[in-house]
Amino acid sequence: MAIITISRGSYSKGREVAEKVGSRLGYAVVSRDVLLGASEQFHIPEVKLVRAIHDAPSILDRFSHGRYCYLAYIQSALAERAVNDNLVYHGLAGHLLLKGVPHVLKVRIIADLEARVAAEMKREGLSQGQARELLLRDDAERRKWTQNLYGVDPWDASLYDLVIHINQLTVDDAVDFIVQAASRECFQSTPESQQKMEDLALACRVKAALVKDDCVDVAVTSQFGNVMVYTKQGDRRSHRLEDRVKPLVKRIPGINHLEVRTGQPFPPEAC
Amino acid sequence: MPVIIVSADDFQQGREIAHRVAGVLGYRFLGRDLLARVAQEKQVSQQDLARALDEPPGLLSRRSRRQRLLSEIEAACLEQLLEDNVVAYGLAAHLYVRGVSHVLKVRIINEPEQRANILAQTGNIPLERARKLAQRQTGGERRWSQDAYQLDQTDPSLYDMVLSLGTLEQDKAVEIICDMVGYRKFQPMTYSRKCLRDKALAAQVRLALMERFPDIRVEANDGTVVAYIQSLKKDQRKKQEQVRQMAGELPGVRHVEVHVIRDYFGQAAQSSR
Repeated sequence: MAIITISRGSYSKGREVAEKVGSRLGYAVVSRDVLLGASEQFHIPEVKLVRAIHDAPSILDRFSHGRYCYLAYIQSALAERAVNDNLVYHGLAGHLLLKGVPHVLKVRIIADLEARVAAEMKREGLSQGQARELLLRDDAERRKWTQNLYGVDPWDASLYDLVIHINQLTVDDAVDFIVQAASRECFQSTPESQQKMEDLALACRVKAALVKDDCVDVAVTSQFGNVMVYTKQGDRRSHRLEDRVKPLVKRIPGINHLEVRTGQPFPPEAC
Repeated sequence: MPVIIVSADDFQQGREIAHRVAGVLGYRFLGRDLLARVAQEKQVSQQDLARALDEPPGLLSRRSRRQRLLSEIEAACLEQLLEDNVVAYGLAAHLYVRGVSHVLKVRIINEPEQRANILAQTGNIPLERARKLAQRQTGGERRWSQDAYQLDQTDPSLYDMVLSLGTLEQDKAVEIICDMVGYRKFQPMTYSRKCLRDKALAAQVRLALMERFPDIRVEANDGTVVAYIQSLKKDQRKKQEQVRQMAGELPGVRHVEVHVIRDYFGQAAQSSR
């Protein structure tokens, strides 16, 4: 009983690995479904969510907060899925979207650029130069995305529990290692780790609701249903936030207590 | 049977894991003990050899001497790796043994916070200082490998697998590495052994010539050696002949080819005199 996030570049065979791991363990495999779920739940066109999770934020995005809002919806949709456990998520930033949950096995699959170029040429019918250029641009975009939104480099191995290089090792070898690692005791969900997952899902739900209500630039944490909403703004604006936060206690099930903390830095575990 | 190369962000932890892997598989452990032998044979200080492997380049460090020491280690290490059933650690072999299919390369890392905790405990320093130290060490590691081998040794694509000790215990890491060795793709084949032999020969030739030609680059293929040197146009013939003669005397070298890369800076300096 674990959650496995697989981070991958395009044409790195990460999808294949994820699907095989899912079928071997009997876990649900999600990637695009999360976006579809968020699109239905929050009534946002899927294409906007795809852009939010793929393209790096532009300077304008930094002012409009659009991307941060979409990301809150995506995170909430993923957390809803992860609460049910037994999940393989492959795609961008799974390890960052589910941070702080102990039974998440974070894997990164990498492959040599030449092998990726060959795969893209075969699939898209491109020339070598075009395929290489597209892949390099895609990699740079993903790197910029993670750096801008989370301040970390997705290529940094210390973000993952396992990094597997598909070259000498095949897809099946990678599946073996992931299944083996997922069976470790530390990745089995316990009542405590499940509680953390539920708290994360609740915090994400609250944040998505606030963001939908135009309350951007907030961070949310939850502990046993006690929800804290953090804002860096001072007291004057906090009354407005409190007015919007109060109705959420009735709207969102699972909240025991809800509190607004103003003028404080966001805690690192907040979503 | 395969060769295993372990690299780690924490020297002691990596050494322990490499040792245990060697013990479980019954392989020979090749570690820093090799430096004592190189020091004795080549009449250099063992401390200098260790420093060349550990310390990032300083502003005033002598690059050519450092490169020479690293070449001594490289040549000695590659010679040892020609025998199978070896676990190598602490000799930077992951940076110069590339493209050899029966060499399994694994990196062991810690989560940044965990690494800071280890440094705080071992160095008896406050956690905040340990965090900064960990960051500095990672930067130093990067600078060192980029300066010495033009590669970033923290880049996961240099390895077959990277294992984080943040969640996996040492036992599990040892188990995974031992499992990997059994995979068919890591078994030595005639071609992969030849690749390793070529690398060893190229390292020997480079070492023999680098005092006279510090910028020399050498490739080898089944006894045929291709050397790339820098030279002014007027010295070209003389230098090519020297390389041919010096390399040709080394055991295992059948044919020497010398390519000259024009030294434009030297040429400009000469013409302005």
